[in-house]
Amino acid sequence: MARQLAMVIDLNKCIGCQTCTLACKTQWTDRNGREFMYWNHVETAPGKGYPRDWRNAGGGWDGEKLKPGRLPRLAEDYGIPADFNYEAALFKEGEQPLRPTEPMQWGPNWEEDQGAGEFPNGYFFYLPRLCNHCSKPACLAACPRQAIGKREEDGIVLIDQARCRGYRYCVAACPYKKIYFNPLAGRSEKCIFCYPRVEKGIPQACAYQCVGRARHVAYLDDKDGAVHRLVHEWKVALPLHPEHGTQPNVYYVPPLSTSIFDVEGKPTGRPRVPEDYLTQLFGSQVKEALTVLQREIARKEKGEASELMDLLIAYRHGDMFRLTPQREGA
Amino acid sequence: MERRDFLKGSAYCGLALAFGGPLVSLPVFARPGKSAGAKVSPGATARAREDFYRGEFLATRGDAQGFAFHCSNCQGNCAWRVFAKDGKVTREEQAAAYPQISPKIPDANPRGCNKGIIHSKQMYQADRLLHPLKRMGRRGEGKWQRVTWDEAVDDIATRVVDTLEKNGLGSLMVHCGTGILSQGRRAGPLRLGSLLGAQRLYPASAVGDMFTGASLAYGLATIGHSLDAWFEAETIVLWGVNAAVTRIPDAHYLSEARYNGARIWCITPEYNATAKLSTDWLPVKPGTDSFLAMSLLHVLFRDKLIDEAFVREQTDLPFLVRTDTGELLRHRDLRDKGKDDVFYCWDEATSSAQPMPGTQGHFRKSLRLGKLKPVLSGAWKVKGRDGKEIAVTTVFERARAEAMKFPPSATSDKTGVHPALVERMARDLAKAEKAIINIGFSLHKYVSGTMTCWAAALACALTAHAGERGGLDTENNWSLGGIGPLSSPKPARFSSGFFSEWENGDMATTMRRHYPDAHLKAALGVDAADLAELGDKFRQTSNAYFGKPRVVLLFADNLLQRNKSESHYRKQFVEGLDLLVNVNHRMDSTALWSDYVLPAKSQYESWDLRGELGYHRFCNITVPPKGLKPIGETKSEWEICLLLARAISRQAVKRGLRRIPDADFLTQAGQDGGMAAPVMRELEKLPEEFTDNGKLNNDEDVVRWLMQNVPAIAPWTPEDAMKHGFVTLNSEAGYNSPLYANRPFHSFENNVYLRQPYATLSGRQQFYVDHPVYLKMGCPTPTALPPLRPDTFPFAFYTPHTRHGIHSQWRTNTYLLRLQRGEPQVWLNPRTAQGKAIGEDDAVRVFNDIGEFFARAKLMPAVPPGSVVMDHAWEPYQFRHKLGLNNAVAGLISPLELVDGWGHLSFSPNWDGNMIAFESAVDVEKT
Repeated sequence: MARQLAMVIDLNKCIGCQTCTLACKTQWTDRNGREFMYWNHVETAPGKGYPRDWRNAGGGWDGEKLKPGRLPRLAEDYGIPADFNYEAALFKEGEQPLRPTEPMQWGPNWEEDQGAGEFPNGYFFYLPRLCNHCSKPACLAACPRQAIGKREEDGIVLIDQARCRGYRYCVAACPYKKIYFNPLAGRSEKCIFCYPRVEKGIPQACAYQCVGRARHVAYLDDKDGAVHRLVHEWKVALPLHPEHGTQPNVYYVPPLSTSIFDVEGKPTGRPRVPEDYLTQLFGSQVKEALTVLQREIARKEKGEASELMDLLIAYRHGDMFRLTPQREGA
Repeated sequence: MERRDFLKGSAYCGLALAFGGPLVSLPVFARPGKSAGAKVSPGATARAREDFYRGEFLATRGDAQGFAFHCSNCQGNCAWRVFAKDGKVTREEQAAAYPQISPKIPDANPRGCNKGIIHSKQMYQADRLLHPLKRMGRRGEGKWQRVTWDEAVDDIATRVVDTLEKNGLGSLMVHCGTGILSQGRRAGPLRLGSLLGAQRLYPASAVGDMFTGASLAYGLATIGHSLDAWFEAETIVLWGVNAAVTRIPDAHYLSEARYNGARIWCITPEYNATAKLSTDWLPVKPGTDSFLAMSLLHVLFRDKLIDEAFVREQTDLPFLVRTDTGELLRHRDLRDKGKDDVFYCWDEATSSAQPMPGTQGHFRKSLRLGKLKPVLSGAWKVKGRDGKEIAVTTVFERARAEAMKFPPSATSDKTGVHPALVERMARDLAKAEKAIINIGFSLHKYVSGTMTCWAAALACALTAHAGERGGLDTENNWSLGGIGPLSSPKPARFSSGFFSEWENGDMATTMRRHYPDAHLKAALGVDAADLAELGDKFRQTSNAYFGKPRVVLLFADNLLQRNKSESHYRKQFVEGLDLLVNVNHRMDSTALWSDYVLPAKSQYESWDLRGELGYHRFCNITVPPKGLKPIGETKSEWEICLLLARAISRQAVKRGLRRIPDADFLTQAGQDGGMAAPVMRELEKLPEEFTDNGKLNNDEDVVRWLMQNVPAIAPWTPEDAMKHGFVTLNSEAGYNSPLYANRPFHSFENNVYLRQPYATLSGRQQFYVDHPVYLKMGCPTPTALPPLRPDTFPFAFYTPHTRHGIHSQWRTNTYLLRLQRGEPQVWLNPRTAQGKAIGEDDAVRVFNDIGEFFARAKLMPAVPPGSVVMDHAWEPYQFRHKLGLNNAVAGLISPLELVDGWGHLSFSPNWDGNMIAFESAVDVEKT
């Protein structure tokens, strides 16, 4: 039976520090034509995101048909990985400041801390994104070379670098725009869920190195794992944009937020991140998820026990990861 | 085509098809799932193909492994594994091996942030200094010549000896900045300076990080908790501290505390990453925090949310104050030849004024009240030494009267904070079993910050939050006990961090230009002339060293980036120096203006140790991976100092200058039956003294010495530390509390539970200071002071700490700049920008009567209108004309921080001032 390794990202614990982005960068994408890629990145929401306007770039499923998709542009939508004129600015005469050698037009964190709303009711939160290792991957379906596969033992979606010819249909088909064309290799690449680490019992770089302790990794059917409990039992972890029909396996605990102020500056009790916006992102179940979170926090405030809160607190970093593929009942 | 070229934008013209284009329709070629044609069950070939990435993973894991932390001005202090292959560092990963101290508290893993994780790139980046360089053109012109170590060190030593001979010992400054705060690498420059009697700055005040409000209250500037204490708190107030950005490794304790039921109050002008994780955000207007603090006190006093037993014993609130002079009632007021440091309460049991035990002058060194029953409220008369009656009341009455002037409804227009929020915060504070108020580094960037912090300390005192019940936290951090013989074998000349910079940079000039005298007088009651007079008095009464250096050896100190009135300061400081040497691992803004730059090793390349009890209890060690290849001609700070010591010794001996008696410091009399004698600066024997006769030859020797000699590290050895990159400190590590093995650290347990006196004049948490300046300014007890920003320019300019650097370190890192926009940004509220016709990413000029700088605009709904905000510490050379953000910040120091010679307010690491950074006004325009 096929199994699925899955991830829960707690948006209440994500502080937008980009440590995961760089853990991934130095692990995989600092070389070999991948320099512009961020297999894992953190964007500020709301915003155009990364690659720019990915939400309007198509892809995903319309029933059993693939929706058309668009390829992001390198400079305008991904951003060229800037190099800097250290030599000229620091070791030569003159007033030339340190600058990117090509002007930057966009990047993975371009809209950092911008968000939306009007002061004092501005709001934002951080949205880490990586390949969702979907159960119904549009990329896989769109590949004319059948170069994309989903591993049976852990459900990791991989692009076979030997079969791939760089046609980029997968890039267009992914509604999350998390596949990147490597112009140097002439092939497409993406997050590999760190399978070489996982195979050695080391969790994904983005998850294990998350200093906010926001990420849980376990097999979806591992009933003792945090992922199963958060997704299926407590139902507080939801997929991003489920309407694309790809059945993502990265789940998000939606963000709570402080109250907005009325014109007098008095808190109204309404959260500043609008529920409608969260519904757009995570579907209609988000309301219930937020209610459950608030209910369980209130129990802790009263000094009562809450299994859910203890699970999200995660007292031991090591307990956030259950990679040993134990089957149910085994 | 070279790979680099290939990735440049211009080379992409032909790749329009590869990137970008219209929507393309997508036929389904394969069905996901069991029936699909895709390789759901990869065969052996596919398995083999997966080796592609497996091989890459193994390559990053390398063939050698070391341990490191990132020694910089960040107390995070996180243990990392460092991997290397073929002598080159490939990657780092958090060690993530810290033990959980209690099953009830989340562990500290995986400590380490976005700066630490990218040092493997930083160390090989093109701004790295590889060889000794000598300036050829004018200072700052950028003409360099590569020289050998011998040439550089010999020339530097010649000029050091010149100045020692001609201008005296104090004319040499050997200063290790906050770029190195570890006990290993910092020891070299400290030891060299101490042996030579050189002057150096107090680092915390030099960078503007003094918590003088805490010093007033406790006699200590950096107090508080290990940050795991957050998890157990019911109420947390984050005041001017953006913990999600500046305490990244510990921020999880906040989100976890929230899940544990805590109320988290975030007080900051802009909605930031920390406001995002809090339960309540108070959008305080820039610089008005002291009004908010007084309103918080108002509610506590008004509603009697006060733990009277705690206040009677642990604070000076029951002390008697003379109604006539406003001074504390002292022994000398009542008796001829009476003491200056014995104080009184009104004792309910005897209905008389009685001396309080535990004050600096009282024979009983305990806070225990015995039969005394001090009254908090009332007015009485006592008989003075001349027989005349003296009307007295209590500090409590004075503090309450002050707080009653600031009801939340009266301050909300000024602060922008609705009274309902203040009321609720006060109640949360009072009812919590454990509450913590964290004071961030932003507050003391305003003159009023001293008062805000002091008032917050009073709020903690009224509600009995101290010890295990929490209390104020400025940043629990002090020096590691037992390192004296290594880093300070002989006395050095300590200069005031803020006042020396003020004088060396002639910053009074820019203050006078920016702040009209009438404005200062109206706001503070003190104008520029008064400040100058206070400075003169400070120079006379303080035991700090005063005098501009002639020869400066700087280690990891970026003072030309940091100092206000940037171009003015630089001109004043650099001009007139005989020699400016910068020891650094990268070309920073100060190195650019130096006469020599000497290339140092950086984070992973030399042995190092950091072990003071701070945010956590772990002592981290750096041990380079085996076989690591040197980068250029870099050397460790210890080796560089030893080279300098040898060269200075050679030069001195050549001139017959074997030793210099230093009459400013005397050896202790009677040690060998002799008289007190001047400390000898042994130039001839400098190398032997530096190495302790050959025992301390390199960075590894230093780390081994520390592990053997520091009591808090016992019984661990370097070999123990090399297992996981750290060892756990023992109970000795605590300063005014023990460090228990299974509980977070809390300051003041010795005072609260054992009743030991605090390090203050009153021996208690002190909320009354009757120094004439405080009396004149109307703030002998906590009160509010207005923002000082003049109205000559329309916007407040403030610069909170950045997420993408530890001050200027890592600020120019390629990988971090790619996660920003590559160059400096100013944050403007969209409405503010609209009013100035400024759009997103437009080039703008920020200016005032001090100077200007150029940057790009970023429109931020989270930023308050009427402000120009910028994350700090961009290198000046990242701006047009290489003029940075401090070019538009006027000099300013606080009269409250210039007082000296009053009880515990005496120049020391716990009493020095700040360069005021957030009180300048600017304008902004599109360019």
